[in-house]
Amino acid sequence: MVFNSYSFALFFVLLLVLHNLPLPWKVKKINLLLASYLFYSLWNPPFILLLWLSTVVDFYAARLIAREQRPMPRKLLLTISLVLNLGMLSYFKYGGFLLENFTLLLSSVGIAFQATKPDIILPVGISFYTFVTLSYTLDVYRRKTEPEPSFLNFALFVTYFPHLVAGPIVRPEDLIPQFKEPHRATTQQMTWGLFLLSLGLFMKVVVADTLLASSADTVFGVPFPVQPLDAWMGVMAFSGQIFCDFAGYSTCAIGISLCLGFILPDNFRYPYAAIGFSDFWRRWHITLSTWLRDYLYIPLGGNRKGNVRTYINLMITMLLGGLWHGASWNFVIWGGLHGIFLCAERLIREWTGRRQRSFAGKNQADPGLTGSMAQASMVPVSLNGKLGNFGLALLTLLLVDITWVFFRAPDFGSAMKILLCMFGVIPNGPAMLTSLDILKVSSVTVVLISCHWLMRDSSLVQLGKRMPWWLLSLVWTAMLILLILTQKTSNSFIYFQF
Amino acid sequence: MHMNSLSKAGILTLIFVLTFVVGWELYWRSQHLALSYNDDESLWAHTRKEIYQTSPSRPVLIGSSRVKFDLDLEAWQRVTGEKPVQLALVGTSPRPLLNDLANDPNFKGTVIIDVTEGLFFTPDGSFPEREATKRVEFYPKWSLSQQLSFHINHLLEDHLYFLDEERLSLQPLLTDLPVPPRPDTWGGPKFPKEFVVNRFDRQSTMTDAMVADTSIQNKVKAMWLEIGGHSPKQGVDGPLLTAILNSVKQSVDQIRARGGKVIFVRMPSDGPFHEAEKMGYPREKYWDRLLAHTQTAGIHFEDYPVLSKYQCPEWSHLAPKDAITFTEDIIPILQQKTGWFINRNGAKTPATTASLSNHQ
Repeated sequence: MVFNSYSFALFFVLLLVLHNLPLPWKVKKINLLLASYLFYSLWNPPFILLLWLSTVVDFYAARLIAREQRPMPRKLLLTISLVLNLGMLSYFKYGGFLLENFTLLLSSVGIAFQATKPDIILPVGISFYTFVTLSYTLDVYRRKTEPEPSFLNFALFVTYFPHLVAGPIVRPEDLIPQFKEPHRATTQQMTWGLFLLSLGLFMKVVVADTLLASSADTVFGVPFPVQPLDAWMGVMAFSGQIFCDFAGYSTCAIGISLCLGFILPDNFRYPYAAIGFSDFWRRWHITLSTWLRDYLYIPLGGNRKGNVRTYINLMITMLLGGLWHGASWNFVIWGGLHGIFLCAERLIREWTGRRQRSFAGKNQADPGLTGSMAQASMVPVSLNGKLGNFGLALLTLLLVDITWVFFRAPDFGSAMKILLCMFGVIPNGPAMLTSLDILKVSSVTVVLISCHWLMRDSSLVQLGKRMPWWLLSLVWTAMLILLILTQKTSNSFIYFQF
Repeated sequence: MHMNSLSKAGILTLIFVLTFVVGWELYWRSQHLALSYNDDESLWAHTRKEIYQTSPSRPVLIGSSRVKFDLDLEAWQRVTGEKPVQLALVGTSPRPLLNDLANDPNFKGTVIIDVTEGLFFTPDGSFPEREATKRVEFYPKWSLSQQLSFHINHLLEDHLYFLDEERLSLQPLLTDLPVPPRPDTWGGPKFPKEFVVNRFDRQSTMTDAMVADTSIQNKVKAMWLEIGGHSPKQGVDGPLLTAILNSVKQSVDQIRARGGKVIFVRMPSDGPFHEAEKMGYPREKYWDRLLAHTQTAGIHFEDYPVLSKYQCPEWSHLAPKDAITFTEDIIPILQQKTGWFINRNGAKTPATTASLSNHQ
């Protein structure tokens, strides 16, 4: 079931009614759990078995891990959980990819091997709920959290429908404590939740699907080069589309959950106003980047094992983060590029830090140097000022957009073709986008960047508090009217495939 | 924001939105547009479910827009007592649909294939072929959730005129904006809103305004000329054509091997549209070769005075009234041509075989 469908609207209304009836808290939780299973099974009922398997194994594995004091059996239990979760993920998500690359490897050494392409359907949301259950088992293993004694609470933590298929990737401490006490949305939470749901649907249905998707599909779908303007517009369209699609989903999820009285963590914080890549990853898919930081980067050693290891750890984390998005080398390249940019940024920061330190040392001996160094750093504009920061944010977005080419293109060749078109190396392709397409993409891009820049140090809640109520109502009305006008329902969210 | 302020914003929003919906609905009703259903992938999938109880009296129709306009399903039902299963898709090639029926081991019914040469003989990967393939691929993925949404949407569409994605949603409304065109690009045809409405059984029909107003008809004719300007002037040839014919034959043979029945039909067209079709797709090279290669019967409207007497208001499709008589006229020809038993219990006076030509 997708949030932008009539079936979900019916489901949600019925669930809200049920959740607000004077029933015991345990019954309400059972209702939520059954509703979550129904929500999931309406895609492909058999895959609910995988969800059950993951839930049951991790619940009992964590209990046994907590009870066991000896290191080896604890490791063994953790390994069982990891093998099961990552094994399912590998089979369903990477089975075909691994086989394809194995075949290529054999043929490269002269062994002719032709395997039948496996007909594997990817269970919706498997990457997300696998990370949710893994975080629980790993936290229990590290004694960061106690195992949850109630199977109902744990099953609801894993299966809770707002986050189940596309995040935010929740941690045990985010949700389980909320399930222990009766929760019901206050009027304020309900209204704000409905506003967030409207905003999320607006972002997905109106902006991503209606204003941007067709331009991105056109440019990335043609097998021949296009004009540089079209290539840039296609990439900008996808850049806006993927943000509005994914952040739209997260906003819907947070809003829906709030209507039920539960708070989910933020997943996006105006990423297209990020200054640099480490800032970008503090703002984009926050629950994934913190998951990778806590369960991959830091266990690898993080920045505690010297400079070289830090860069290696960064690259490993980003390459695997890329692969998490999909079974394709393009995703690995996308992750790799982000890794390289993060490393480059770190290098620049270290170099600048060293320069500043040595300059500060010299400055004590020769105060006249201050002015000339300051002048040297003001080319072309001061990077400390607002304009300089805005320039750096635009540069970051430009580089992020270049990485999106690999994310969206169907293969490496197509990605290179688009990049060559963007930078005028192939200048003579045909024009593909109409004036209206260009108008839509450029308008949305300008509005999006402006909103992100203006909101980068703020939040929707703060904005809502500052706005007069009638203005909030006008904005809300405009979004809903456009949503009703669009009439597009049931388009899947891009991140469902991951 | 205080709780009171948020509640006030929510209530005011509700009032604004409800007012808009009522006003928007009344506005479109005042424009005398007939109610139209979204002919989307869900409606197609819903119809696709019906193929397993088909017979010569209740055939599956595949093809392009002509069979959707020209064969009136209710008229057919009045004659045979049963309504055909309309699977044709506007602006697409029926070959992916034929292939889909051929590959479905449970399908043993009757297929009438509308041949519009410019769409039928398009290679794999071309736009008309791709669009039809999308529908075929959607059907097995039509989830329970999407099916539920479809039925809820149906309830709403029955009563709300403005729920018309093809004509009245944001996308077509934006397309109507007076934005100057970019040189060397084409955003696709912009048909007038009055051209066509879709019924829930997937029948397409011209609106009364379209039938009555020649200026609207001229706008559609202008669109055909525009489409013609962006289409290949000559049809596929050589090995590509042979490959298409071979794939059609394979599908037809698969259906026949299970006891199914197949016939090709060439629906009427006239004016410059028909002239361009004759030049781009000469009959002997495409239609005649198709019938010979697949060893299948075909009905070409030009061969039967009773079918070629019609004029298309916009050169390519029949007006609703003509579609009714055309349907009544083609049923006896189908029966005579194939020897199939078509139940005609509710039939009006059938056309006599004397009025039929004996052409292939």
